[in-house]
Amino acid sequence: MGTAVLPGTERYGRVTAFLYHEAELLDTNRFAEWLELLTPDVEYRMPVRTTQFLTEGDGFQEFEFFSENLASLTTRVRRLETEFAWAEVPPSRTRHFVSNVIVEESQEPESDALEVRSSFLVTRTRQDLDYQMFTGVRHDLLVGGDERFAIARRKILIDQTVITATNLSVLF
Amino acid sequence: MATLSRPLTRLRSGEVLEEIVRPDEGLISRRIFSDPEIYELEIERIFGKAWFFLGHESEIPEPGDLVSRPCGMDPAILLRDDEGIVRAFLNSCRHRGMRICRTDRANVSFLRCPYHGWAYRNNGELLNAACEDHYGPGELVKEDLGLIPVAQLASYQGLVFATWDPAAPPLEDYLGDMRWYLDIVFGRTGGVEVVGTPQIWDVETSWKFATDNFTDNFHVFSAHHSLVELGMLPNDPDFACYGHLMTPGNGHVLHFVKGAPGDDAFMGLGLPHDLRARFDDHLDPAQADIAREHGISAGTVWPNFHWLHLPTSGVIDGEPVPFLNFRVHQPLTPTRTRMWSWIAVDKDASPEHRRESYETYVRTFGPSGIFDQDDMENWEDCTRASLGPAARRFTLHHKMGINRPVDASWPGPGPAYSDSYGEMTQRAWYGAWLNWMSRAS
Repeated sequence: MGTAVLPGTERYGRVTAFLYHEAELLDTNRFAEWLELLTPDVEYRMPVRTTQFLTEGDGFQEFEFFSENLASLTTRVRRLETEFAWAEVPPSRTRHFVSNVIVEESQEPESDALEVRSSFLVTRTRQDLDYQMFTGVRHDLLVGGDERFAIARRKILIDQTVITATNLSVLF
Repeated sequence: MATLSRPLTRLRSGEVLEEIVRPDEGLISRRIFSDPEIYELEIERIFGKAWFFLGHESEIPEPGDLVSRPCGMDPAILLRDDEGIVRAFLNSCRHRGMRICRTDRANVSFLRCPYHGWAYRNNGELLNAACEDHYGPGELVKEDLGLIPVAQLASYQGLVFATWDPAAPPLEDYLGDMRWYLDIVFGRTGGVEVVGTPQIWDVETSWKFATDNFTDNFHVFSAHHSLVELGMLPNDPDFACYGHLMTPGNGHVLHFVKGAPGDDAFMGLGLPHDLRARFDDHLDPAQADIAREHGISAGTVWPNFHWLHLPTSGVIDGEPVPFLNFRVHQPLTPTRTRMWSWIAVDKDASPEHRRESYETYVRTFGPSGIFDQDDMENWEDCTRASLGPAARRFTLHHKMGINRPVDASWPGPGPAYSDSYGEMTQRAWYGAWLNWMSRAS
């Protein structure tokens, strides 16, 4: 464990402000701006979870729902900008709730990076349909210093083993 | 029209199933996509009797390995016992019916029921019941109380199938001529192996809309038009028509598609050349030629096992890389379906190809896939728009190519049809559906 950056500190406040800003971009369909929050070598992954006994670990497998880099995330965003991405035409209305933010200094030497874990609840409604929900925790590596954070790594640990919400056409 | 020899299935609405579903005429009632009465008939007449895909042998390589899977609509355990024999059982204790395996995968010597503690060996035999001293003579015959096995289990090209029907034809006969094509798709380089674990997700659709889509080539230009806009698919509405559709019997259907004339993009299944070089070692000459000359293939083993082999890219300006995806569409309700989706790679694939193939699948198909998302949108809204009493009085339209002659020059089992834009595969699949639904026993 790295040194904790505690709530109430300016640094912690900058991290949460960054995460809230990111959530707002995603919830207001400003995906191109969201891409600017990522490093060129970003890794963005969501492993598939399975039900396992506790002694076997948390059940995450080598298989994934997202296995992305900047080029593939950019492709996803460009796709959403066409008029023909039917899963998002008309668009979802999402709300990214971010909480339980835990910030630690990276243990890598000479690094000002931060390891950030945050719980998420993403709600979605589309057309006249009922709410769908996604919950989990994100493990992020934020780099670039406090003034201009960028996401270098995001691992999205989703709680469900079966995605019950039709698709993963939203970003986390 | 229904033939005189076929028993008629009269529905509570007063309609006759054989009159509202007329696959030979390309007319399919919208009622079958939402009506609970038809769904109840499907449970008994299809999901109690057909052969179902449970998993791939490579998912359970070691003795004691197990995975929890549906066998049709029933929860099953697929495992390899201590002697290496692949077995499948109803995932339910013989005593009170408690679900006995409650994780998705494990390695076990024994399976112990949480409820009263009945314990079974991994070959299904009952080892211990609970409180055995309290049973009188003849009250507990352990030899008769092993886990309930599937009626038949067999594998082909590593694909493990099972049926609950002891009277079902053996898998080899059930697959029939489809085996010749499964050899090409799954045996092309000597075998494939599953990567990881399936993605599982639920879609608000009739399982039949998802199935109807699987061998449909001409939806791609419209349904996936976002990718045409991005230059990731050819800007030509006919681009996936240069192939053949096959309906080799028993409701099994498939296609092979190549690139436009002069376009070598879709050759050799899009595989790296070191893998293409192996076709001749594992396929007969006609099979190897098909593998060499085509890029895309999709097919359905009746009723709900599907494959998709597709060279594509998950990034703008990316080089196409093929993946082999296979799926089960498990009905949960008349209008809700659980999708199980695996990818497999050639056993002899290089680490680079393995990774690229995997990434291409994850980015393009499955619940987050930039292709697949839009397919699900269609299946869901087709289902929602078919719910009402007015919609149920109308048919869908499946007439494309209904008068097209068979292409006798196709080197594989047929019938085969030139031009991979057509609805022969859907008509053959619904034809099998009607046959199964018309069987009262």
